[in-house]
Amino acid sequence: MDPFISITLAVFLPFLLAAAVPAVEKLIKHKVGWFASFVALVSFLLVVSLIPLVMHGEHFQASVEWIPSVGVEYSIYVDGLSILFGIIITGIGIIIMSYSNGYMGHKEDLPRYYQWLLLFMGSMLGMVFAANTIMLFIFWELTSITSFMLIGYWRNRPESVYGATKSLLVTAAGGLFMLAGFIVLRSITGTFDIPTILQNEMLIQAVRGHELFLAALILIFIGAASKSAQGPFYIWLPNAMEAPTPVSAFLHSATMVKAGIYLVARVHPIFSGTDAWFILISGTGIITMLVAGFLAFRQIDIKALLAYSTVSQLAYIMTMYGYATYQEPGIGVAAATFHLLNHATFKACLFLVAGIVAHEAATRDITRLGGLRHEMPITFIIATIGALSMAGVPPLNGFLSKEMFYESSLEMGHALGSPFTFIIPALAVAGGVFTFAYSIKFIAAIFLGKRPEKGLPSHIHDPSFVMIIPAAFLAGLIILFGLVPSIAVQNLVEPTASSIMMETQHLHVKLWHGLTGSLVMTLITFLLGIAVYTRYDSIAKWQNSFNRKYPFISINYIYDGLVNNAKDTLKGFSSFMQPGPVRRYVLALLFLTIVLFAVPFLKLSAGFIPTLNFDVAPYELLVFFFMIIAALGAAMLPKYLPAVISLSALGYLVGLLFIYLSAPDLALTQVLVETLSTIIFLLAIVRIPQTFKERITPSLFMRDALIAVSVASMVFILLINATQGIIPPFESLSYYFIEKTLPLAGGHNIVNVVIVDFRGYDTLGEISVMCLAALGVYNLIHSRGESE
Amino acid sequence: MTTVITKMITRICLPLVILFSISLLLAGHNNPGGGFIGGVMFASIVALSYVVYGLEEIKKSFSPDWGKWFGFGLVLAACTGFAALPFGHNFFRSAVEILDIPLIGEIEMVSAALFDIGVYFVVIGSLLSIFQMVGEDK
Repeated sequence: MDPFISITLAVFLPFLLAAAVPAVEKLIKHKVGWFASFVALVSFLLVVSLIPLVMHGEHFQASVEWIPSVGVEYSIYVDGLSILFGIIITGIGIIIMSYSNGYMGHKEDLPRYYQWLLLFMGSMLGMVFAANTIMLFIFWELTSITSFMLIGYWRNRPESVYGATKSLLVTAAGGLFMLAGFIVLRSITGTFDIPTILQNEMLIQAVRGHELFLAALILIFIGAASKSAQGPFYIWLPNAMEAPTPVSAFLHSATMVKAGIYLVARVHPIFSGTDAWFILISGTGIITMLVAGFLAFRQIDIKALLAYSTVSQLAYIMTMYGYATYQEPGIGVAAATFHLLNHATFKACLFLVAGIVAHEAATRDITRLGGLRHEMPITFIIATIGALSMAGVPPLNGFLSKEMFYESSLEMGHALGSPFTFIIPALAVAGGVFTFAYSIKFIAAIFLGKRPEKGLPSHIHDPSFVMIIPAAFLAGLIILFGLVPSIAVQNLVEPTASSIMMETQHLHVKLWHGLTGSLVMTLITFLLGIAVYTRYDSIAKWQNSFNRKYPFISINYIYDGLVNNAKDTLKGFSSFMQPGPVRRYVLALLFLTIVLFAVPFLKLSAGFIPTLNFDVAPYELLVFFFMIIAALGAAMLPKYLPAVISLSALGYLVGLLFIYLSAPDLALTQVLVETLSTIIFLLAIVRIPQTFKERITPSLFMRDALIAVSVASMVFILLINATQGIIPPFESLSYYFIEKTLPLAGGHNIVNVVIVDFRGYDTLGEISVMCLAALGVYNLIHSRGESE
Repeated sequence: MTTVITKMITRICLPLVILFSISLLLAGHNNPGGGFIGGVMFASIVALSYVVYGLEEIKKSFSPDWGKWFGFGLVLAACTGFAALPFGHNFFRSAVEILDIPLIGEIEMVSAALFDIGVYFVVIGSLLSIFQMVGEDK
């Protein structure tokens, strides 16, 4: 199949079939999860079929015009990197959706759950295969929205709502920074198309030499960091653990949180090799790795522990992509890519174990768990494999990529020279030590030690095969990639590294590679890790007491302050902007209109004396006369009812005038709208007192009169200028439409063609507003009923 | 408002005005008219009958869910944005095709006309649902 069609299908099938989920659910009830897994399988096969295409660092691109005038296209780009992500997304997707069949109770709202999972998978695929940055941005924000819906899946729990809101605020706002970065990048290169930049050495040099280089890099990195929970933006991830556990495994460990890493890898060829790149990416990475690894100690919820470890592990990958010098821009690329794949396997596996434990033992609190190895032997084995892989113990895949991390750290330190030769590897080892300690804690707290006397259900056992097989499969992959790394390396890692480095890469990953510096570092890590583990509880206790003593030294504290204050600040702002009486708004609007129109118009028409033409037909004069009377009546009559009637009389007279001026469309519209609005007006005013209560003081009268006269004279000047066509720089638009309506749109009625064709997009917006207005009225009427 | 004369006139006008509103909608591309005017025309005659006969009385025999009307209209209008794509034009470009149907003659198929029908439904639906909600509100 044509790669373009394969990818388009892989991306949009989940979207289309998500719409079918409720119907399928009616047919096969709670087995609907298998349908979702099947969709994921189809996408997976479509992506896998493209591996041969990119095996040796080749790439493929195809596009369809979307908004050609600004260079926005539906454009896909297939290379090693996007294939690697595509396989992780769809592969983990199959596993998660199958597992959910066991995890989610049959009484849950299953269609909604699987719909959002499928929508998420489609958005994520769309993002990694997007070549155009605008398309990438759209799918990027779609993943934020779907993640929001999935974190808030249990809508009635305040923690879920809090976590969902937080994740949306942080990641969607980060996405906006990224968009700004893309726009800066376009202003430098003149294109939204990433491959165009990647394949053009001149453009890359132009970006690097440009004064906005740093701005583009920082903006894009803020987007990446917020999505991948790096630096200060990590705070949303622990709260996102309120999602159902399969969601956490899928979105918040294996795929969505790697979107930021994907972005960093994608723009790697453009920015890497500069000092700014290394300082920003690796600097943030190393700090996040240490802080998150350290903070994991005080977590007592096993999912929160895994969340902090995810932040820390993502930071490893980030750090490695950041390792770059001018001569060697890609020191850590291969290692980062391999760790990315491995992390997806072992972390998803651990989350599935956490889900099993919570499902069977009805708690995720490590202080209430323990000693479950006898009751859940299979789960225990799987958890041990996953956790040891995370700790970097041979012969598991985590060991291999951890070794590569140390190796690239050594290399980077060496390249930077003293004193970094020592500092960077030391920091890397420190990160490894924390990881080792909390990995051991994960196993020990759940499975080892003594079973607590009370608090746990009396009968705990391994779950059904539906839940155990997906986890066991991942554990199998961990061992397979550890023992025979070449399977993963040759098919996935090498093509990816090649596509990031823009040249073919060959890696030699072996379990035993001699007594190297990195092996020594691993041994040190184990020794220190065991030492730290023995002090694990006292470190956690110290962290807790520190947090109690200085609660304000925390990013969450700042976030909560900002968000809670925002409500008050906005309340003040909106009560200032919306004081209540409609008259004030009208006043502000009219005043602004006068200023905004009068100033430029007076300037433009200065020195021009319009020839006034008083040659008006007598019957028209009569209409004008009645219009003036009607207008005065609307303004001066003391009761609502006659005032409204007077106003609509004015409206009908305007309609009459349109007929004289040979504008039947306008006249028809005017009369009809006038009729309807009068009826609605009358419906509303029968409920309110019939006379105006306000007393109009002379000063108020003067002010209003002044405004009325200025508005009227402004409109007068405007009309005179417009009808005589004397404003120099503008040419009347109507000539264009008169000329083009028939040949371009095939219609004779210019007004209507402009509405439905030339400005069709505007009209779509306008009718959406009409729908919103109707919904708004609905809300007004019904919400008032509730508050009573 | 509910005299015999108004009731009679409304009864006579109702079918005529609805037919006229449809003709305005269909004629809009080449003659005065269009989805907006046609929709307002339709809405005003229904509103008139609500006023003359009373909301409850009309709802006994004719009570569509106007919310569905504007929902349908909005979806239709949004979908026509894509109608021109298979003809090789850009998003939201109106596609013009001239079909020659035996006996009837040449008919111009314009995707903008579909869009106009969407507008028609949105206008009818939103105006009448507002009207009905305000009218029902006690």
